[in-house]
Amino acid sequence: MNKSINEQELQTQIDNLSREIQPERDLWAGIEHAIEHKSQQSATNSSVSGKTKYSHYAWAASVVAAVLLTWNLNSPMLEPTSQLAAVDVIQQQYTEQKNTMLVSFGKPDLSKLPEKMQTQFSELQAARTSLLEALKDDPDNANLLNLLQWTQSQELSLLEQLYSPKWQTI
Amino acid sequence: MSGQSTVINAQDVFANKQELEWISHAKNGDRRAFSQLYHLHIGKVYALCLRMLSSKDQAEDVAQEVFVQVWLKLEKFRGESKFSTWLHSVATNTVLTHIRKQKNWMQKVFSIEEQPHMEAAGNEIQDLSDLDKCIVRLPEKARIVFVLFAVEGYRHEEIANMLNMAVGSSKSHFHRARNLLKEWLQDE
Repeated sequence: MNKSINEQELQTQIDNLSREIQPERDLWAGIEHAIEHKSQQSATNSSVSGKTKYSHYAWAASVVAAVLLTWNLNSPMLEPTSQLAAVDVIQQQYTEQKNTMLVSFGKPDLSKLPEKMQTQFSELQAARTSLLEALKDDPDNANLLNLLQWTQSQELSLLEQLYSPKWQTI
Repeated sequence: MSGQSTVINAQDVFANKQELEWISHAKNGDRRAFSQLYHLHIGKVYALCLRMLSSKDQAEDVAQEVFVQVWLKLEKFRGESKFSTWLHSVATNTVLTHIRKQKNWMQKVFSIEEQPHMEAAGNEIQDLSDLDKCIVRLPEKARIVFVLFAVEGYRHEEIANMLNMAVGSSKSHFHRARNLLKEWLQDE
């Protein structure tokens, strides 16, 4: 049977433990990369939390769909209008942001994503399409414009979470 | 003796002033100043991560996450406590959050808890002391409680609160850890 060291000997070793252990590699490069990435993330999309779970996107799309349904049922028939400037600007910004993002991620093939992810993308895109349709009838509706921007930001955030570089591996 | 003590105090004051300067610059977005803070504190942060996680790779990842969190939360540091104390608190919370997030956390804690880590980081890192090599082999909860209590100086009440366990359980894990360490150190 093995004998143990006594309490005092153990305590001495604990007291002599080094307060510091240096990692074998420099971790600063990864930290700096992550900080840079977080800064860009907050600059491009300050309203979206980076910790959003994937399941939230499906929920977000459902909320948009519900709001649209209610809006469609309650809103009076409106004459079509050609004043789509706000929608156009929002759409243009979204397209530019998405393209920049995809290029920076090496133009990933979204069709190769797992089915669950593709479904979430489809739901968000469907919500966005419905909002654009609704805005054709009511282009000045601030709530619809906000919902459109929000849906777009959810889509961009999902893209970012899926394809952004894993800084820990640097 | 008095003269030597004065010199040491002067060095401490200078180091503290320098650190406050780096903190101030880092708060304004100066990454070079923040890198100075990183180099000053990485040893302590990594030691905590390695001992708590018993994995070199995870310790590196979480140590990085600690500094990212510090960067993001730096504005909240008002200087009411020492920066090292605040950093230590952020580091401990980040490590515990990481452990909770691990997919097999529940399994580890409740099923494999009785098994010591035979392939822990102790064999991966050459410069560890005998005691550190044994600490990283401890079962997870015993290891976490031991590190928090014996190395980091938390009280059992605080540990119980952090780990959502009874104070008695924290003490029990600690005694188990001590007994295993005494046995293993004899064999070293």
